[in-house]
Order: sequence, then C-alpha cells, then structure tokens
Amino acid sequence: MTDPKPARTDANLRRTLAEFSVPSEPGNERQAMELVASAIKDMGLTQQRLERFKTAVAEATLNAMEHGNHYRAELPVLIEVSASDTQLSVKITDEGSGPPAFHAETPDLEAKLKGMQAPRGWGLFLIKNMVDDMEVTGDEHHHTVELILHLDGQAEGSA
Amino acid sequence: MAVRHLEAEVRQERGVVVLDLRGEINDFAQEALDAAYAEAESNDPEVILLNFEEIDYINSTGIALIVGLLAKARISKRRLVAYGLSDHYVEVFNITRLSDFMSVFPDEERAISQTSVS
Repeated sequence: MTDPKPARTDANLRRTLAEFSVPSEPGNERQAMELVASAIKDMGLTQQRLERFKTAVAEATLNAMEHGNHYRAELPVLIEVSASDTQLSVKITDEGSGPPAFHAETPDLEAKLKGMQAPRGWGLFLIKNMVDDMEVTGDEHHHTVELILHLDGQAEGSA
Repeated sequence: MAVRHLEAEVRQERGVVVLDLRGEINDFAQEALDAAYAEAESNDPEVILLNFEEIDYINSTGIALIVGLLAKARISKRRLVAYGLSDHYVEVFNITRLSDFMSVFPDEERAISQTSVS
C-alpha cells in the first residue's frame, strides 16, 4: 500500500483528503475502507451514513481488485478521497480495460434460493443502495467508480 | 489491517443449535462456514441460529455465502435464524431481503425464546 498523501485544496475549493493505493489481493478492500473512514472522520457524517459509505467503498474496491485487476497483486487500486462544501467523493480506479465489469443482473433473492441466479452478484446492488450517486467511467487503460455523498442535508439518512 | 479469518463453532443451547461466528464473512470464509453448518445439521435440528455478535465485517461474497446456507436450509426444511447483527448489517439484511427469509433478533435470549421449537 502507498502511504496516504496529505490533504490539499485546489482552485475550485475541492479538498483532497487522501490519496493512496492498495495491491489487488483478497481482503484489501477492508484496508481501503478503513483508510477512507479515517480520512473522512471529521466530516460529521452520522454513524449510519458512515457505515453505508464504508460498505460502498469496500464493495467498489473489491470489484476493482477482482474484475478490473483480476487479483494481480502488482496492479494497484488507486483511491482518492475529496470533499467540497456540498459533496464527499471517493474515486476508485483500477487498470482494467473496456466497460467496467459489474454483475448487471439485479439480484433477486428468491431466484437465488431456487438456483435460478448465482448466489453472488450483490456488489453493485449494495453500492447503489449505500450512496447518493455513483458514476462509472473508463477507457482502454482504466476504470473509475466515483462514489458520492451529498452534504447539503437533503440526502436520505443525513442528519 | 490483517484479514480476520472466520472462526465458527457449533453448540447446543436450550434445544437449539447455535453457530457462533467470529471474524469476517468474506472470500475466505466458505470452508469454515460450510464445515460448521454441516456439523450443525448433523443432528437434524428444526432450527439453526446464526450468532453474528462477533462478526465485524460482511462483504458481498459473504452475503452470497449466507444465501448459500439459506438455500441449503430451505431444501432441508430447516429454519435459519440470525441474531447479534449490528444496526448496519440489519439494514443490509433488509436491503438484500435476507430478513424476509430469515428471522433477525437482537440477541440470543430473544432469538431462542421467540423461535418456537417443539
């Protein structure tokens, strides 16, 4: 893992709270999750929103390590945490090519219990339920998933 | 942060079988979870309680493993009951609808007293 860089502020008042990377090895999504939690500890999120955001970060990192970097430890997942007055953002970038790989099928527990869907495929579903917005971009060299929480007090579950 | 591999132990408690789970339910958990569940099933109980009090992390792969246990339980016509989940994972169980198929209680006392076993 690379060491987190100190916070900096750019011209449009978007502050970078942390930048780091984790090797693409099973289990490292939790390390990423805890480092993000540490970077945003002073943001004033309620415990519920913090736990939701942590789960979204873990799942997006897991997806990047597994489907983007195919668990090749030498390929890092890059994580950038930033905030403005109205928005908290975490960008998670892997070195995959082509469209970002998520299970496109909406998980249906009844179908999974009947063997009509695979038991897995919960990652994207969890992410979408845990954040206010999510943006996915990619090119021939990278995929980036951006997880967004609105800080304007209007989002569901905000204090 | 080192991964905390899952540890699972089976015990009998007032006529029900309890799986005590400790650590993380993630990509590494399948072997321990399946082995403990097989042991829990060995006496053909009507109900198996999953104790999540010492689980501090469940990822999407872990959710899939729990779905797998639930599928086995349904085939065997057993009830799976969960207790000791944190508020966050109660929410995850609600969002995924696991709680529609598995009763969720805050603690062991209520899980046992409100799970009718004849």
